[in-house]
Amino acid sequence: MPRHTFTVNGRPRTVDAPAAMPLLWVLRDRLGLTGTKFGCGVGVCGACTVHLDGKAVRSCQTSIGELAGRGVTTIEGLRENSVADAVKEAWLAEDVAQCGYCQPGQLIQAAGLLSGAGTRAPSDAEIEAAMNDNLCRCGTYLRIRAAIRRAAAGGARSS
Amino acid sequence: MDRGRGRVHVGDGVLTANRAGTRRDFLRISAVSAGGLVLGVRFAGAAVETLTRADAGTAAAFRPNAWVRVDAAGGVVLTVGKSEMGQGVRTSLPMIVAEQLEVDVDSVLLEQAVPGPDYPGLGTAGSRSIRSLWLPLSKAGAAAREMLIAAAAARWGVEPGSCRAERGRVMHPASGRSLGYGELVEAASARAVPEDPPLKGSSQFRLVGRDRRRVDGPRIVSGEAVYSGDVRRPGMRFASVIRCPVAGGTLRSFDATAATAIPGVRLVAPIPTGLAVIADDTWAALSGREAVERTVVWDEGENARVSSDTMRDRLAQALNGAGGGESHALRRGDDVASAMEKAAKRIRAEYAFAFQAHAPMEPLNALADARSDRCEIWAGTQNPNGVQEEAARRLGLAPSAVTVNVTLLGGGFGRRGTDYVLEAVEASRAAKAPVQVLWTRPDDMRHDLYHPISLHRLEAGVDAAGKPLAWRHRQASVAWSSAAGRPATEERLRSDLGGAQDQPYAIPAVSAEFLEVASPVRIGAWRAIQNNHNMFAVEGFVDELAAAAGEDPLRYRLALLQGRGTYTGGRDNASVDRDRLARVLSLAGEKAGWGARGSSATVPGRGRGVACAVYDGYTYCAIVADASVGGGRWRAERIVCAVDCGLAINPLGIRAQVEGAVAWALSALATRVTLKEGRVEQATYRDFPILRFRDMPGVETHVVRSDAPPTGMGEPPVPVALAAVMNALSAAAGRRLRRVPVDPGDLNPSGTGA
Repeated sequence: MPRHTFTVNGRPRTVDAPAAMPLLWVLRDRLGLTGTKFGCGVGVCGACTVHLDGKAVRSCQTSIGELAGRGVTTIEGLRENSVADAVKEAWLAEDVAQCGYCQPGQLIQAAGLLSGAGTRAPSDAEIEAAMNDNLCRCGTYLRIRAAIRRAAAGGARSS
Repeated sequence: MDRGRGRVHVGDGVLTANRAGTRRDFLRISAVSAGGLVLGVRFAGAAVETLTRADAGTAAAFRPNAWVRVDAAGGVVLTVGKSEMGQGVRTSLPMIVAEQLEVDVDSVLLEQAVPGPDYPGLGTAGSRSIRSLWLPLSKAGAAAREMLIAAAAARWGVEPGSCRAERGRVMHPASGRSLGYGELVEAASARAVPEDPPLKGSSQFRLVGRDRRRVDGPRIVSGEAVYSGDVRRPGMRFASVIRCPVAGGTLRSFDATAATAIPGVRLVAPIPTGLAVIADDTWAALSGREAVERTVVWDEGENARVSSDTMRDRLAQALNGAGGGESHALRRGDDVASAMEKAAKRIRAEYAFAFQAHAPMEPLNALADARSDRCEIWAGTQNPNGVQEEAARRLGLAPSAVTVNVTLLGGGFGRRGTDYVLEAVEASRAAKAPVQVLWTRPDDMRHDLYHPISLHRLEAGVDAAGKPLAWRHRQASVAWSSAAGRPATEERLRSDLGGAQDQPYAIPAVSAEFLEVASPVRIGAWRAIQNNHNMFAVEGFVDELAAAAGEDPLRYRLALLQGRGTYTGGRDNASVDRDRLARVLSLAGEKAGWGARGSSATVPGRGRGVACAVYDGYTYCAIVADASVGGGRWRAERIVCAVDCGLAINPLGIRAQVEGAVAWALSALATRVTLKEGRVEQATYRDFPILRFRDMPGVETHVVRSDAPPTGMGEPPVPVALAAVMNALSAAAGRRLRRVPVDPGDLNPSGTGA
């Protein structure tokens, strides 16, 4: 079985797995990082979103074979920077979560938006465009919007 | 909760310290010998799949199913078997205990009860958690408080009435002395449990009625929250199950050669629901599944002859009296047939509602470790007692040998009962190892317990002024899987006809009739259950009566509610006050700015609608919706909701439930499950398009101040939102929309649509 080396949350990891194995299952079943959730397996719900070299991607659509030398950040590693802290604080302040299952993906997606927006607060249209493919069956969308605005206003900026 | 942990055994060694003669059994309180001061109470359960309100414990010895424990360090643990699925029950229940016990709410730790023969009635369903636990938990908190005060007073040699409790301490203001609860628990637990401890009134509340954020929030945002799919056990395997695409079909043959050649695949084993591919990780299981799925041959059975067209025909035939099935009706007031005779005019309309899927974000999954002498299960389930009983039956074990650990649920909505958990039990038995069964998204979509399809024929006889004298609501639908073929008892009919038999309007003669047809797919509970289609039909048809009378739809409703007394509604035959409904209706109208122009469109393609209902006889809700149509598309623009759920425990949670209910209802207006030759045609969120971020309207919630007993909020706004938006879309389109989901062909304002 091929061997793959990449970093996860800043830590180098080596995994033996078929090259086609999705990053989602590598994280959950091989590395014990279960914060990244399975929702659809075909890239249409956003529950499995992670950052790959700082950009939000669907881990169910990213295979381990593509990861050589690259850096993955999961919800467990979304911390210790100003955007991560601001987004999480805003999520709690707005009491966003209901069942909570989609929220790791929502948080990662939102952090990607705020990091990418630089020093500027994203417009409503930019928030909608960034978040529209992350589904939530509990209907927490209004609070996600409020939390992103709050995080942006509170100085969440890329460092 | 640690992974694989979460068990508590507070109930071991329950003392029979309860006294006979207490007024209502479920309110009895007993002391328990488990260290510290422990009080057990009993609340009425609500089993998910049987919908019984059993377990009120009428004759049997008192068996508590919730406990409040004050430990020697002064900490408080509430042990209760309510499943958290996003409704916030783990956040709101501790508020109730802390309020009466006089402790900081954050000092109350909630532990998930593990079901057992002594822990019955742990189901979570029907928006009943707050309603059923409010009084028992208040009494338990108050009893513990009184016992702690009595213990302190005895130690000080003062009158209990000269002491008071505050923030986990008993104070004696006259002498300035105080003792922490931890120092008092031993003495307190030896005292008699007060018969009827006094409850604080709402004017003294410091927690109840104030916003409290979700206690699970920090672990959710850190990714540490544990759902059943996140549980890991030593030596565990991962499984995917191939099921017959047609419900009721059976496995004829398969060839596992290619699958077992895949590294990591351990076993391909038939189980009662299909074929389990068991492997070292999920990816190997899914790869093995793909390899073996090509070789599987099914006996599909007779459901393979049923398509969506067949269902439409069956429903229409039933309504036309040609279905061959029995008809069952519930009636209120005078005889409908003779009242119809006296009417100046009769109005008729037909409404339809599609099969719907739950589609929770977390696909169904469970982990089981079945051994020869015991079984341990980790599952996000709404029905842990049912899981325990059925797993024990399958394995030939005593229920006490089966431990069910309930994790967080990644959305419940009525779906998470027992079937998928039992697959894990069967797969574990086959593999002789702990096995986690994970459903794929298509599995979840195609093997759901669906919301029933229905067709409704409504008829009203009105007087010369357009006021209704007689109302007949005939409904053809399929029964719950658990109820199909069972006698149509009145209790069952109150559920099947929920929202129809107890529609709120004061009309002299009302009849609701249920005509059962056979279902080719399994049917289950779907957030707000049968009230969805029944209230949609009722509220649409009331709009039609208002229009025929030339009246404003809000004022037309008010005239049938205000000062019109009470009636019995819901599954419990609860007493319903029409004035309370009139008040929320007026409030929603006032807050939304419902003007003299009412619902008529001021801008082409825009419309406003209203709906109201009393959910299951308990929660009063009214919604005004603004919506728009254009280019074959539709959109909800704004939702204003007024609700009277009795005493509001956590208003922040109530607002969240209204937002969630609106999203659920709007999704239903866009989704449907269809059948072709017995197969569900939908597979993912692409063809079952639930609401997205961009399409979520603003939601404004107004909670009526009330001291009435608290009711529930998870389900009640769903049908009201659905009906209000349909009425708004009807106003916007200039034609009555009578089908859910919305048919884009119906949105053409010129009226030339389908």
